[in-house]
Amino acid sequence: MSACTPKSLASSGQKPIQEMCHPLGAEEAVLTPSPDVRNITSSIGEKDQILPNGTPVETSSPSSSSSLLNRLQLDDDLDGETRDLFVTVDDPKKHVSTMETYITYRVVTKTTRVEFDLPEYTVRRRYQDFDWLRTKLEDSQPTHLIPPLPEKFVMKGVVDRFSEEFVETRRKALDKFLKRVADHPVLSFNEHLNSFLSAKDLNKRQGLALLSKMGESVKYVTGGYKLRGRPVEFSAMGDYLDMFTQKLGTIDRIAQRIIKEQSEYQVELREYGPVYTTWALSEAELQGPLEGVASCMANCSSALDELTQDMSEDFLPVLREYVLYIESMKIVLKKRDNIQAEYEAKLEAAAFRKEEKASCTQVPTDVEKCHDRVECCNADLKSDWDRWQNNKRQDFRQLLTGMADHNIQYYEKCLAAWESVIPLLRDKQPQETETEED
Amino acid sequence: MLTNNFFSLEISVAEAEKRTGKNTVNMQEIYTVYLIETRPVDALTEGITPDSLWRRYSEFELLRNYLLVTYPFVVVAPLPEKRAEIVWHKLSADNMDPDFVERRRVGLENFLHRVASHPVLCNDNIFNIFLTEVNWKEMVYETGFQAKADSRLKAVNAAFRVKNPDGRFTELKHYSDELQTVLSQLLRVRARVADRLYGVYKVHGNYGRVFSEWSAIEKEMGDGLQSAGHHMDAYAASVDDILEEEEHYADQLKEYLFYTDALRAVCRKHELTQFELEMVALDLACKKQQKEELVTGTVRTFSLKGMTSKLFGQETAEQREAKLQVLEQQLKEGEEAVKEKNTESDEFVKTAWVDIERFKDQKDRDLKEALISYAVMQISMCKKGIQVWTNAKECFNKM
Repeated sequence: MSACTPKSLASSGQKPIQEMCHPLGAEEAVLTPSPDVRNITSSIGEKDQILPNGTPVETSSPSSSSSLLNRLQLDDDLDGETRDLFVTVDDPKKHVSTMETYITYRVVTKTTRVEFDLPEYTVRRRYQDFDWLRTKLEDSQPTHLIPPLPEKFVMKGVVDRFSEEFVETRRKALDKFLKRVADHPVLSFNEHLNSFLSAKDLNKRQGLALLSKMGESVKYVTGGYKLRGRPVEFSAMGDYLDMFTQKLGTIDRIAQRIIKEQSEYQVELREYGPVYTTWALSEAELQGPLEGVASCMANCSSALDELTQDMSEDFLPVLREYVLYIESMKIVLKKRDNIQAEYEAKLEAAAFRKEEKASCTQVPTDVEKCHDRVECCNADLKSDWDRWQNNKRQDFRQLLTGMADHNIQYYEKCLAAWESVIPLLRDKQPQETETEED
Repeated sequence: MLTNNFFSLEISVAEAEKRTGKNTVNMQEIYTVYLIETRPVDALTEGITPDSLWRRYSEFELLRNYLLVTYPFVVVAPLPEKRAEIVWHKLSADNMDPDFVERRRVGLENFLHRVASHPVLCNDNIFNIFLTEVNWKEMVYETGFQAKADSRLKAVNAAFRVKNPDGRFTELKHYSDELQTVLSQLLRVRARVADRLYGVYKVHGNYGRVFSEWSAIEKEMGDGLQSAGHHMDAYAASVDDILEEEEHYADQLKEYLFYTDALRAVCRKHELTQFELEMVALDLACKKQQKEELVTGTVRTFSLKGMTSKLFGQETAEQREAKLQVLEQQLKEGEEAVKEKNTESDEFVKTAWVDIERFKDQKDRDLKEALISYAVMQISMCKKGIQVWTNAKECFNKM
């Protein structure tokens, strides 16, 4: 994860546009509150943020400047050296029961955090459990971007969901999901994550979670309020996401097309080599060289096969998963919009009432609460955006260098094959008498 | 330019040009002519301007036909394709296409080199005239070679009916059929492979475009993406040169594909001479038998003569004597003919086999060279691929 340098928080209260940081200017700063700030918050005596469903919001209000400073200074340093929570998802296993067949994955946690009783945990979890975790995180941290999970249902019905390929792709995505959560300065301290990582059996209470999830989604995504003035930076974020989605779609199509072309090339190659073998049968002096060429082509053909497979397994799934990630981000942006809209509506209503009463000089507390929620949301979103941008940069750097590596390896294999044939071809050259020179 | 120990001239087919004119049915046509330049071997680098003249493809064909008829025991080098066949999609099948014309020019030059370096053909007068005299056609027709040509029908007939062809020629015929089949298939598949390879490379050009567009919406990632995109464009463009080079390999294979016709022609000639020998020998045997019958008076086989003599009485002694004399003469002639045909056949087998061995060595050498340069091409292609992707990877790392 990236190192962070403390940077002044971009928004505490309404800020002039120039001072808001560009959404794409994702420097290495992380702007979310550190876990220890929670204690400070309570000592300052902030009002608790309560969500409609009764869960407390686990972030501090940004409106106090001293807490701001504290937050920044106590920020998690997310270098490898000071990271204190490591998670891995591996070892998929099939389970067959009378009711159903499913896959579980081993989740290994290593940590020095005090919130955990033990330094190490190993549990087995299935996809459902990951889904549960994500839902709980969304509910309890509605203002934060929760990383996406791989698709629940198999797309296009062609893939066998117990095939090694599919399971491995899923495992990688689940591993990524969990790592992203564990690296998040706020989400990683969520109690549900703790349960997920450590509990023998998850007491999931699925039904309730599902209902409340639906409730939240409806409330925050559709809203009911009209947004007046969205800050430019958030509009810019939305625009960027739209354009980025488009580019990813194009890249996906190109990658698929390349895989298709390579497969068709391979079909022809697989016919090409054997013709040299057939030819070798009618030759004497040329038999060795021709067979050499034939086996060389066979090698190139299997190298190509590996390349195509690697691209299908490593490249495309990650690309597609990013589309999901973008969707999650868009939802968070939408939620933010609605929270702001709600606040604006309440503010307007209060102002209206104020006019009528004329005696009211105070801003009503619920309006203030709304205002705080907006501020809070904006701050969380910005810090999550920066983190997301960083992750995106690294993920794509890794993805594209991976693609380059696969191609380099393919060419290196072919090169080796052809270079090994040359001495075979040059061997036993018949005595040259009068040779022509072109 | 070719220099060798057999021939005193350097030859090159330097250029190709389009001409218009009226053809045999008095219709306007466009055709290509090729410039043949010759220069004495010792005048290597003196800046002496070569002699030159223009020839059409059909004139090359005429020369080759002359050589085929005049030297039936030689495996005569083939001409390049008259029409572009076995092409992959990028190359047009149009005879006027400049790439095709260029490759034909090279092929014609190669043909002339093959002939000039052949121990027997290089000394042919008509060949020399072809290179140096504008009005060579008159002279080649004067040789009357067209009358000497064996009819195709005659040759096919002989091929069916010959009883004891030399086993080596049968084997050679077999081999040339196999070689023809396998080389045709090879060339077809190679063309398809080239087609597919083209597709793979070109699609990567799309990455160039999308990376460029994407870089426009990014800050830090922009530069890396943009440069990587350029490398993708370069990668896509590199396939044109690669496939251009491969065409040369295909041409080398094609030459040997066409050589199989020449091989079969020599085999057919052998079958024809052998057949003629067998016919003559059979005729001689027949005559001998007839003589025997006449002398001994026995008629072993049914003959109209026998029947009529039974019916109408024996011939007189004088008549018999006359017949015998005729037969003796025929026998003598027959034996001469057999001796002649035998010598002819032996000569043919001997000289043909010398040339066939020469051809085999040439083939093995040439095709090995072709395979080596093909491998070298592939190696170069792989190295270029590694280079491009390494460059792209560097750009990605800077993202």
